[in-house]
Amino acid sequence: MRRVTLDDLADYARELLAACEANADAFPGKSRVELPGLAIDVFSDHGELARALGHGMVAEIAAGRPATPGRIFLAHPGIGSIPQPALWGEALFHPNMFSERLEANGLRGHYFHDLSYWQFYDVEKRLGVQLMRSADGCPPWEFGAPLRCFLHWEYAARGMRLTHAGTLGKGGRGVLLAGAGGAGKSGTVASGLLAGLDSVGDDYVLVEFDGDRSLARPLFTTLKQDQAGFDRLGLARLLPDPGLLNWQGKYQFRVQDLCPRGVASELDIVALLVPQISGAAQSTITPLSRKDALMALAPSGIAQMPGERESGFRFFGELTRRLPCYTLTLGTRGNEIAETIAAFLDRGNS
Amino acid sequence: MGYSTIYAVSGNDIVYETFDGDAVVLDLASGRYFGFSDSGSCVWEALIAQVPPASLVGRTCGSGQLSAADLDAFIARLNEYGLLSPATGMASAALSPELAQRLAAAREALKIDMHDELADLVMVDPIHDVDEPAGWPAVKQ
Repeated sequence: MRRVTLDDLADYARELLAACEANADAFPGKSRVELPGLAIDVFSDHGELARALGHGMVAEIAAGRPATPGRIFLAHPGIGSIPQPALWGEALFHPNMFSERLEANGLRGHYFHDLSYWQFYDVEKRLGVQLMRSADGCPPWEFGAPLRCFLHWEYAARGMRLTHAGTLGKGGRGVLLAGAGGAGKSGTVASGLLAGLDSVGDDYVLVEFDGDRSLARPLFTTLKQDQAGFDRLGLARLLPDPGLLNWQGKYQFRVQDLCPRGVASELDIVALLVPQISGAAQSTITPLSRKDALMALAPSGIAQMPGERESGFRFFGELTRRLPCYTLTLGTRGNEIAETIAAFLDRGNS
Repeated sequence: MGYSTIYAVSGNDIVYETFDGDAVVLDLASGRYFGFSDSGSCVWEALIAQVPPASLVGRTCGSGQLSAADLDAFIARLNEYGLLSPATGMASAALSPELAQRLAAAREALKIDMHDELADLVMVDPIHDVDEPAGWPAVKQ
């Protein structure tokens, strides 16, 4: 079994990319994923991951935007002459050094040791490979946000950012909901959707600056709730058969399952809210220092994404600087939380 | 601590942003974040602007004055966290009037808070440092 080190990491990445291009015709499935400014041809096998591409990702809504083509291969050794995934050598594996070595060669990448799972992306060619042991041999979180790392690298190269935040909006204006897992983001997004608010997504959304505006666009349609949240929101009436719990012990469903209009195409973000579960009857929105808002927004977004850490910190710093920041102390009733956010947006508090 | 020592940020892995006078620092290599009190932000900004500690001792800081002992402890903590190092061959700078004004208006004592909740996801070696049965991201205890 081949062992890869920092010294031959870039060579290994180039070899895999070349192997995928040479075997393009051997891939059983080919689909096109159309996202903001990007049209990706995805070469894959059949299976759950291929289905997730169609199920969990948005179809580009804002028609007319020029789309740059890209190609991503979801490869495994059962396809043509795709090689077995290599293993990491005995040397220390440091994610930061791994990223730096690839970036010096115009590449981005990620390695998940437990599954011998490699992802490499050539930024200039917009060409990516995800090498797995089998068709669905990826970490379980990939099914909720497929191609996430590739999108992170591609959009970061354009000065945009996959942002770990929920969103809610009304009339085209919206708020980002930022914070660590368990802070109440997903429950707030689901409550808002049920109450008629819009969203461009939960968990990961694409944020870009357009002049003075900060725009959020959708990439994924996935929503998640644990059993307690599912019950609290009364989701069984909309999802009588929600399927199995995912790897986090959560039900996974889509925005369009809660509201027929589906995800909004874009929200003009006017504030950053940091939810806090309080147990109080009434929700409140009170000013928060930008320092504390950045600390809520940046860490998880940077830690969960391989590479581009400094650019991420700078981007989230700029985003925090542009937006008024607030603590959203969550009440106990979803409707009341949604009304509080809707009233906040109606007041134009930004 | 040498009161005439000039300090500099410890390398390219230390990045920071300042908001309304509040500094947030990220160590890209370790994944640790640092937040300062208002007076801590002023002193951090002064030190990385090559103001020697001697120029800060005795300065008005809120309702009191910056003591040598407090400054010593604060700089020691910055060194311990790997954020700041003595610099050689750099000329000293004077404290800017704007920073002096902010320092005088500070309401909080010199303080730095370290947040390392997500550092393991950034810096740990996921191959050699993880609990093997649990796998990444369970860090070996």
